[in-house]
Amino acid sequence: MLLEARDVTKSFAGVRAVDDASLVVEDRSITALIGPNGAGKSTLFNCISGFLRPDGGRIELAGQRIDRSPPHRIVRAGLARTFQTARALTRMTVLDNVRLAAPAHPGEQLDGLVLRRGAVRRREREVTEQALELLRLVRLEEHADALSGTLSGGQRKLLDLARILMASPRMILLDEPMAGVNPALREELLAHVLELRATRGITFLIVEHDLGFVMQASDRVVVMNEGRVLMEGTPDEVQGDERVIDAYLGTHA
Amino acid sequence: MSVLSSGEFWAFVGVMAGIYTLFTLGLQVQFGLAGLLNFGQVGFMAIGAYTMAILVVKQGWSMWLATPLAVVAAAAAGVLVGLPTLRLRGDYFAIVTIAFSEIVRWVATNEDGLTGGSQGTINLSGEGVATQYNGAWERFQGWVGDQLHIASKDVVMLIIVWTAALVLLWLTARLARTPWGRVLRAIREDEDATASLGKPVFRYRLQALALGAAFAGLAGCFYAWQFSFFGPDDFQPLITFFGWMILILGGVGRVWAVPVGAAVFGFLFAATRFFDFPPFSYLDSADRAYVRLMVIGLVIVLLVVFRPQGILGRRDEMVLE
Repeated sequence: MLLEARDVTKSFAGVRAVDDASLVVEDRSITALIGPNGAGKSTLFNCISGFLRPDGGRIELAGQRIDRSPPHRIVRAGLARTFQTARALTRMTVLDNVRLAAPAHPGEQLDGLVLRRGAVRRREREVTEQALELLRLVRLEEHADALSGTLSGGQRKLLDLARILMASPRMILLDEPMAGVNPALREELLAHVLELRATRGITFLIVEHDLGFVMQASDRVVVMNEGRVLMEGTPDEVQGDERVIDAYLGTHA
Repeated sequence: MSVLSSGEFWAFVGVMAGIYTLFTLGLQVQFGLAGLLNFGQVGFMAIGAYTMAILVVKQGWSMWLATPLAVVAAAAAGVLVGLPTLRLRGDYFAIVTIAFSEIVRWVATNEDGLTGGSQGTINLSGEGVATQYNGAWERFQGWVGDQLHIASKDVVMLIIVWTAALVLLWLTARLARTPWGRVLRAIREDEDATASLGKPVFRYRLQALALGAAFAGLAGCFYAWQFSFFGPDDFQPLITFFGWMILILGGVGRVWAVPVGAAVFGFLFAATRFFDFPPFSYLDSADRAYVRLMVIGLVIVLLVVFRPQGILGRRDEMVLE
């Protein structure tokens, strides 16, 4: 397994948003995290990615404890995330958005800029090439020099994906990737996720309300309700489970 | 109008514009690049000026050693202010910085033994001994004047200040285009997104704050040499807001907009003092001194309405979300 969260707890003003939640994500799997609104999915996501510090429990990535690390360390450890709405850095070019995410860039250190100028130039050339390649992958290469604020919502989703790949993570957390996405882009994103797992061996944990997408994409599904993990299984097992129908679909009926 | 046609007067205006360029360049790094709302820049300027003067007078240091140390002291003050406060939300950080600069000013006013108190640096060696810290600077200025065959001290000062300003502007403009500058701009746009891409946001903010403070510290040293005497009242919060006006006039996020903003501001500030045509001629000269602030305020209001990106800013960046 790649990610393990054990008995994670997080409260806000006495309300237990995440209550002893445990889950396991296998290496190279696509695991979906579903549940009704307020189930604690986003809070658990924020705990895993370091944006919130859990009150209790333990989270490990490839055997290494990460629940006390700040977000940037967790990214460097190999786990990166997206946000519910695409977060384009609007007044920067599309290319700069992607180049920004490059790890281990000596040009991002003041001492490196002064003392290792050759290495800075080499790395920047390498990073630019890689960034352009990723932009080609998501078919945004024509917009490389445009300010990313000029992109449409759908294009920003794709930019988010290219950018996160630049950080070369082993595992990606996607926070509702299908929210506000048209059918064509939906198919494109689905294809990207499957392709990235197949070619780069990237593991995905995906919070998603679009059950159709969950059933199509994921091997495992974890269902949360009221801060707890209700059950875990294959898409088929989850789909037929009474408890899930009660908790999840019941709220929509 | 005789003053307005005097070269000396315009040299003075130019020197002040150069000092404000250095001062505002710090704000440009902090706000224009990293998005930090520093409303206490004058506090770092005061620390630079006082550190230089105190080391020269009380410790007998050479000006050439005291000045770099003064710049380092201002940067260190930036780190000290930033460590506990940079994790705060932007608006809280802004309030803390104002408080910081007022604390510096009040300490300078009340710690007579260290700073000369409210009488300023003339009192640095205690009552009754008029103290000067700029002997070495005067000699350097004289030497530069001899080399260039320029007799006027004001013109020599103008050349030295702007040489320093242009070198630092050039270096800062280069720095802004590096991957380091790219991370700062990303933090300005969205700190959470930047953190989620593996960048230690806090450390970059601290670096931007310290670097900007160092520029203010150097501006403080030039200010001290220009006037050969200063006191706590030279470091009123108003000075910080002059810097902000220059930043907005020139254009946020553009390094070379700073000297343009400073020149325009300096011109408006100096020239409006001598308006002697109606309606200004109905006021006496003391009242006219206040009118110029109103004129500058009006210019900024008009600018924000008709050209919100500043004189050199980019309009297309303003309309993006």
